[in-house]
Formats: sequence, C-alpha cells, structure tokens
Amino acid sequence: MTALTATTTPAARPALHRGGLLRAVLRTHRTALALSLLALAAASAALVWLHSLENEARAGVSACATPPMDGLPSCAAVEAITVDQTYANGIAFLATALSWLMFAVAAWAGGALVGRELESGTAQLAWTQSVGPLRWLTAKLAAPAALLTAGTGALVLLNVWARGEADPDLVGDWYYPDAFVSTGPVAVAYALAGLALGALAGLVWRRALPATGVALAASLLLHSLLERHREDLWPTVGRTAPGSIELPRSAFQVTWDTPAPHGVHISHATFHPQSHFWPLQYVETGLLLAVAGTATAAAFLLLARRLP
Amino acid sequence: MTALTAATPPAVVRHISPSRGLVLAMLRLHRTALLFWVGLVVVAAGALLWAMGPGADAAWAEYTDMGCDLSRPNLGCDFPGPANSRYETAVAVASGLVRLLPLLTGAWAGGALIARELENGTAQLAWTQSAGPARWLAAKLAVPALLLVTGTLTLTLLHRMLWSSDQALISVGWRAWHDDGIFEINGTIAAAQALAALALGVLVGLLLRRSLSALGVAVLALVSLVYVVGELRPHLWPVKTVVTGLDDATAGSDGMIAETGALTASGARVPIPSCSGEPGCEARIGITHYYADYHPASHFWPLQLMETGLLLAVAALATATAFVLLRRRTGAAV
Repeated sequence: MTALTATTTPAARPALHRGGLLRAVLRTHRTALALSLLALAAASAALVWLHSLENEARAGVSACATPPMDGLPSCAAVEAITVDQTYANGIAFLATALSWLMFAVAAWAGGALVGRELESGTAQLAWTQSVGPLRWLTAKLAAPAALLTAGTGALVLLNVWARGEADPDLVGDWYYPDAFVSTGPVAVAYALAGLALGALAGLVWRRALPATGVALAASLLLHSLLERHREDLWPTVGRTAPGSIELPRSAFQVTWDTPAPHGVHISHATFHPQSHFWPLQYVETGLLLAVAGTATAAAFLLLARRLP
Repeated sequence: MTALTAATPPAVVRHISPSRGLVLAMLRLHRTALLFWVGLVVVAAGALLWAMGPGADAAWAEYTDMGCDLSRPNLGCDFPGPANSRYETAVAVASGLVRLLPLLTGAWAGGALIARELENGTAQLAWTQSAGPARWLAAKLAVPALLLVTGTLTLTLLHRMLWSSDQALISVGWRAWHDDGIFEINGTIAAAQALAALALGVLVGLLLRRSLSALGVAVLALVSLVYVVGELRPHLWPVKTVVTGLDDATAGSDGMIAETGALTASGARVPIPSCSGEPGCEARIGITHYYADYHPASHFWPLQLMETGLLLAVAALATATAFVLLRRRTGAAV
C-alpha cells in the first residue's frame, strides 16, 4: 500500500508513513484504548461528583458538642450526616485505583503490546514492511506513553481538586501510600515505569502469557519497594524532648524512641513535616523515570542486538 | 506416534494408553506451571512449619521476657518485638499465598491451559490425534484439579495444626477463627475455591478462545465470585441471636457477626441510632435493647460445608457448560 503510493507521489510518503504506523498501533489495540478511555471518563465523572459533595462531607466530620454550645452544632446532627462516608469511600477507592494503575499497564504492555506480537510473528511481519524494528518499538512505546501521561496527569489534577481542602479526617493524611501516589507526579511516573518494564519483559520473553506474569511481578516488586522505603528518600527532621513529644498533626513519623537511661524519660522522634511532600514526590518521580529510562534503553539495545 | 509403533512388531511395543499419553503430554506442556505450583506449596508449607516450630518458640520467649503473659495491663504488649513480627509474617505469607490462589488458578486456566491452545490451533491438532475433544478437556480439568486439591489440602492441614497448637500467640496477633483468610484456609473452602477457579477459567477460555482476553475476563470473574461468596458467608447457616441491655453491647463479639441493630419496646428491629454517648438518648427514641445475629465457633463446620457446597456447585455448573459448549462446537466428533 505504502510502496504503491511511494512510486506515484514520492513527496507525500513520509507523512503518510508515520501516520500509518501510529494508526496501526491504535487500531491493533483499539479494545485497550476503548477500555482505558471508558475508565478515564468514569473516573473523571466520579471525581467531579465527589467534588460536589466535599462541603457537605466536611460538615459531617466537623467539631461538635453535646449539648450544642459555643456555636458548635450538636453531635447527633453531625452524625446524622452520612455524605462524609460516601465521600471518604469514593476518594479512597479512586486513590487506590490510581496508585494501582501501574499493574494494569505493565501486564498489558508485556502481554498484549509486545509479547503477543512477537509470539504470533506479526511483529516480524511488520518489520519486513516499510517499518523497521526500532521504529516499530518507538511507536509502540511513544503512543501509549503520550496517552498515559495525558490521562494520568489529568486524573491527578482532578483528584487534587476533588480532595478540596484535603481534610485528613476525610481523605487520609498526605503520606498514606495511596494518597501520596495519587496526588502528585509520581502517579504518571509509575504508569510510565510500568509501560517500560512491560515492554522489556515482552521483548525478553517473546511470549504473551509469561511476559504478562513477569511484568506484573516486576512492577509489584518495584511498587512495594518504593512504598516501604519512601521515608528514606529525603532527610527527616528530628526532635528531642524530655517526657513525651507532641508531633504536629499530619507529620509522617519515621522513628520514635523513648530511652530511659537514668530513669529520665527522653523522647526522640524523626519525621517528615507536610512541607516534605514535594521533595519526596520529586525524588520518587526521578527514581521511577530512571527505571523507565533504563528499561526502555535495555529494550532498544536488546532489539538492536537481536537483529541480523 | 502410537500408530507408527503399532505397525512395528507388536511384541516390542511398550503400550502407552491414550489417557496416559494425554496426561504425560499435559504435564510436559505445563511444566512451568507445575514447577510454580510445587514451589508455591513448598514455600507456604515451609513458612507454616517454621512458624509452628522455631518461630513460635522465639515469639513466645520474647513475649514472656516482656512480661506480657502476666495478666496485668501493659500497653507495650500491643506492639511485640521482632520475633513476633517474624512469626506474624510467616503466617501471613502462607495464608496470603492461599488467598491469591483462586486468582492465579483462574488466570492460568483461562489463559495458558485452554485459550492459548485454541488460539494457536494446537488443541485442534491434538483432537485429530488419538484424543478426542471431550477426552482432551477431561484431562485438562482432571490433572490440575487433582494437583490443586492435594496441595491446598496439605496447606489446610498444616494451618489447622498451627491454629490448634499456638492459641496463645494467635490471641497476641488479634486473629479470630472467622477472619476471611483464616476461615478459608482452616477448612475445605480453600480447596473448593481453587476448583471453582479452575472450572470458571476453563469455561472462560473456551468461550473467548484468545489467551489474553480470557486471562483478563477470568480474573474479573473470580474477583467477583470471591467477593459475592464472601458477602454471602454469614447467611449460609441459621444465626444465633443475642440481646443485650443498653449498657453492655459486647456479647457475641467473638463470633462471626451477620447483623447488629437495636430493638424497640415492641420488639421491632431498627438501625442503631447515632447517639454518640448522649445520656438517655436511646430511651428517648424508644430503644430498649441491642441485638446481634452471630455465629458461634461451633458453627464453623456447617458454614464451611455450606460454602464448599456452593463453590463446588459453581465448579460443576461451569464444567458441564464447558463440555456442552465443546460438544456443540466440535459436532459429532466428541
């Protein structure tokens, strides 16, 4: 098809060519594309709806008094508000879904995007056409990466907006694993790392099902390693005092020590104040992008070495 | 192969019956999955055996060194030391692996066991050999079923041994007989879940005939099945009801709670009011008692057997549908 048009009008070839590859990628993975667009639409609608509940939900966890006094509402009236539960559950569900996005991406990239095509030989067929293997892999990675960045980025922004004032009694503290991942750029970086790891697994195994399993296992490992060592990604703040320490609300406590060497109780605590949110986000994003970059480079090297 | 050897002098033929050949071919084809399953059972059994022996001894020694076995209150005993957390981790690894089992089984059965072969055409090739489609499907179901039940029941027996030997440490870890993970691994439910997962995975694989879609749909189907059965669990056997006065609402709390609520003077069941400790609030809106519908520990086996029966019925239905579907599709060849 491309060859035919090339002989007639050579000037029009490059543009048609590139568009053709992109269109082929989108067409092959139209089910995945449709499902992810559907999920994006559903999540956006849910977040807009949750945002509209936020004010009423905050009234449902406000301070109260029994009997009502000092301008505080009565506790029975506050407890009668049930929207706060709906709101908290909805936000928690979407936070979990956003921070687990990586697993779905990795399984899809390993199995459907790369592994299946190498197993069934359609990739090898494509390489004999006008598209070389390296261009093929570039298109396979670039198109989903662009869509994932746009979609995940939009959902993170909507999620931050729907959390409103981020009352920790409603939506959890900033350092809760799901809340941390779903409110900053790390969400995008996780999705991209899942894509790169999946593509690498697909290229290494060249079979759809084992590649799916390996990509899923690798992303589970990466996700849980980072969750466990998140507190070590930025220097903590320390505080020592006799007796007991009252840490500020929303402090991400790392260590807590109460030695009593001479019968005198001294408390020593290290923690991340809320101002460490952005440094922690940047370091984790950087690490994940480094993983994604390394995996992508390894995938290209592997493909280049395998070619005659 | 069999046809060829049959043509040579029959005296030297080592006769391999078709079913034996089918089983051998299956084990060879799915040797990675077999190794994975053996590895999973070995890891889980090893964790349970370690926890029962040295793990429990070390955890108990640490607990008594902290003075926690004495009956005076000590807040430090809510956060035991490293030996206790190692013990907890070992038990959690074993029961966590068993809880993952339905998902792993379903994904494998849908994707690798059935759909990949239909997608590649190796199944259609196999049906032209000595094994017909029905025999082929029977082998695909029977061999994994046998291996799954053997492995899962081994883990169940080991966990029951652990459960009956370390009661003191169990109460330290705040585990109760009706916790989801523990309830499933302590009885026949874990094995029944694995069988239902196998049958559903096979059915999905036959329906979709493409490995990756079958894998995805099978996982979704099993997540839903496990969730629905978990929701039904307390309602599978008649409950006991305990009624308490307004001041004491803790009765039945060591059992599996099916429903709680409040009673009015006429005996009507109403939701628990939101009184937040306001004195006299319950009486003012006509509440006289609280009630709880619950299962005592003696309902363990009736509940286990009902749920096992439900899961086995799902498995049988899926298997029957799979055979009917295959017969329809392959026509008179069966």
